[in-house]
Amino acid sequence: MAQSVSVSVEAPIENQILSIDYDGTEVYQTPLTQSEYLTRNAARINFTKAAETTEGDKKADEEVSTVPQSSLAPFENILIKLRDAYTEVSVLHDVLAISKEKHYLVLDPVPQEPAETKQMALVYARKKALGTAASVLIAGAERLKRCDNGPDFQIELLRLRQNWRLKKVSDSIIGDLSFRTAGSKFFVPGNFEVVKNDDTTPSKSSGTPSPLQVIIPAELQGIAYIKVVTQKDQEDLCSASVNLLNENAEYPKAKETYWQKKLEFAQNVLFCKELFNQLAREAVQLQAAIPHVVIGNQIRATLLPGIQLIISLCHTTSYQVSENEVKKKHDGHDHVLEHSLHQLLREVHHKNIHHPLPHSGHAYGIAKKRLLAGPMAFDRHELWEMTKSQTLLEQIIAQAQHIFMRKRTQYVLDTLARDVKDPQIVSHWNALNSPTMSWVKIKINTQGYDTICRTSLVIHVKERSLKAICRDGRVMHLSYEPQELRDLILTQICHHQIAGLQSLAKCMAWQLLSNSTHLGIGAVEPLGNAHSCVIASPNADRTIAVQVRCDPQIVVKVYISHSPKDFYPSGLVQGKFWENLGGNFREVRFDKMEGKNFLNKMEFLMAACTKKNH
Amino acid sequence: MGVTILTPYPLQNKSGAEAIEELSKRLLALGATQAGQFLVDGDIFEHSFKKIKIHVMHNSEYPASVFSILDNGQKQIPLITDLIFDLLMLKVNPIYSSKKMIKIESKGPRFELGDFLVKLGSVTMSQNQNFKGILIEVDYRPCLVPAFCWDLIKEFLQGLLGQQAPTAIPGYFTNTLPSNNPNQHYHRFNDTYQPIDTVQQYLEHFNNYRKQSQAPTI
Repeated sequence: MAQSVSVSVEAPIENQILSIDYDGTEVYQTPLTQSEYLTRNAARINFTKAAETTEGDKKADEEVSTVPQSSLAPFENILIKLRDAYTEVSVLHDVLAISKEKHYLVLDPVPQEPAETKQMALVYARKKALGTAASVLIAGAERLKRCDNGPDFQIELLRLRQNWRLKKVSDSIIGDLSFRTAGSKFFVPGNFEVVKNDDTTPSKSSGTPSPLQVIIPAELQGIAYIKVVTQKDQEDLCSASVNLLNENAEYPKAKETYWQKKLEFAQNVLFCKELFNQLAREAVQLQAAIPHVVIGNQIRATLLPGIQLIISLCHTTSYQVSENEVKKKHDGHDHVLEHSLHQLLREVHHKNIHHPLPHSGHAYGIAKKRLLAGPMAFDRHELWEMTKSQTLLEQIIAQAQHIFMRKRTQYVLDTLARDVKDPQIVSHWNALNSPTMSWVKIKINTQGYDTICRTSLVIHVKERSLKAICRDGRVMHLSYEPQELRDLILTQICHHQIAGLQSLAKCMAWQLLSNSTHLGIGAVEPLGNAHSCVIASPNADRTIAVQVRCDPQIVVKVYISHSPKDFYPSGLVQGKFWENLGGNFREVRFDKMEGKNFLNKMEFLMAACTKKNH
Repeated sequence: MGVTILTPYPLQNKSGAEAIEELSKRLLALGATQAGQFLVDGDIFEHSFKKIKIHVMHNSEYPASVFSILDNGQKQIPLITDLIFDLLMLKVNPIYSSKKMIKIESKGPRFELGDFLVKLGSVTMSQNQNFKGILIEVDYRPCLVPAFCWDLIKEFLQGLLGQQAPTAIPGYFTNTLPSNNPNQHYHRFNDTYQPIDTVQQYLEHFNNYRKQSQAPTI
């Protein structure tokens, strides 16, 4: 298109092609306007050349006055050329000055001639660029679409904030799992980090993952619980496991799980660790008769001779193993013990944080009672009492001891009730009891004769001892040995039988001749003595002697003697009363007798003996 | 807690140490067990230009407390506080200054005999330990009202001190106290016993000793 000025060429009727669409349609360049056309043409004029050949019209007006017409000096040409150059420079200067004013002259940029381009290459380049841009836009649209369906990060964060404590540290969001706001003073920080989950491709197992991800420190990962076992020579008696979660909670398998569960588990680990830490510290500090042993993740304390309490912290990060253990631990699980253990730690936390008002600066952390001690003038004794406080481990040991004592007492009473058929033993356990104290009421009665005689006693089960209160007001303190309780109950049974017999004899108008609760004669009993009772028929011709032995089992022996049947007064023995002289005692084969139980049999026996007399 | 009766023991040509020794022997013979020592001290802080005194007293039976009694001539206002009250008194030193010369204390052995707590205190004044006399404190712990156990304590004191035992109720208990109802006489004797009562009894006796111009014969 570049042409010399002198040749004028018509502008083509067809417009230039600007671009070609994918479907082949051509987009044309709009035709130039008049002014654009003029500018383009003006740009093509080489003014310097024009000045040389034809005296420029515009310049001519300025030059004419200054140029001398003729001179033949040898340097005339040079002079002229210099003058021309000078003139051009000054004109240029003037033009610049005028154009600077912007009143008369405006400088317009000269559009450069567009470079020669290959149409097809341009098309391809554009196509490629557009393709890239489109893919970026489509990816963005896809993400927006997905965000509309699934949960948003911000909303998740809001939900997280409702349940957990979060704070912003520079660019990251740090959360706190610890129980510090609940009064804990545990040193492990328990922080977690909240990050945005960029990898939101839906996985096969669990739908769309949460856009929010929590990162938990390594020491809080995994599953943890505290196992409390009371053990008697390798045999587990009762166990409890403590964690914050319910037992059936399954540990989240992989990272795509919901953050809530993950945090709960981590907090549980922290809880267990704190509890164990506290217990281990106390175990070392406590000075027990048999010192407590702390080895690794295990605390061993002796409850009663031969019975050990083992508290262990189980913390595992491999999920397969933990599942097995979870199943195993359900056997013999004691929910009451578990509850008590929870209660104890909460109490410690509560005490740490709840101080009476007003909090004076130096008195922070002192119990309310101690604060009042000065102004209320507590005496030495009261202050001394105040210093006594049970540690967590002591309380746990006390509770475990009590649980054990209760079980033991239950066992003794149940076996006795099973073994001893004759007087029935009924034990009523109090449903409401404290963790270290419970009581049982024992009633001994004979079927069919419970209006005649009932024996009841109350046993308080404490931590290491029993307290038995009999109906007559006697109070007996028993140790933890089950044999003592067994002996006591057996003695009470003997009492019951003899007392019942006495009442029965009274009803049947028999006379009570003697009664002894500690029969000193006969074979020596290893524990306790036989009870005995001697009764005589209304007209005193028959005497029945009963001996009830309680060791090792209730054995009843009944002897009967009767006066000689034929009494013939002689010259030497004349009085009729000599008839009542007792004869030899002969043993009654009591087990062969009719009757449901001891008192029933005795009633029959007495009735038979009375009848014969008439 | 209990009812405490404080009575001075007249020295009959005996030294203080001898009297204490004799009484201790008597108590031990009665079956008492010695349970440590005790100390009751009293200090006076005087206002620099008003006629106000503050008696600051400590009793080892109440180790967490400081007893102070503000005395402005007409009225006595007792106050029981924490131990830091002592430090507070040091802070107000320019206004209330302590008189070291009349600091008085009673200390000696402490005996337990069943429900009774007996303290044999020898009273000394100022820093050079001027011996002033003997104060016997009998505390009957199960009771709270002096009227209910005065007879018992009197009998106990007679058994212990013989002729020197007090026969009348100490004046502190029989003084009529200001009451809302002018027709009703209000005595401490029928009121619940408070720890401050022990301290006020001590204060009364301490003041008596302070008034004595000279110490009894030693």
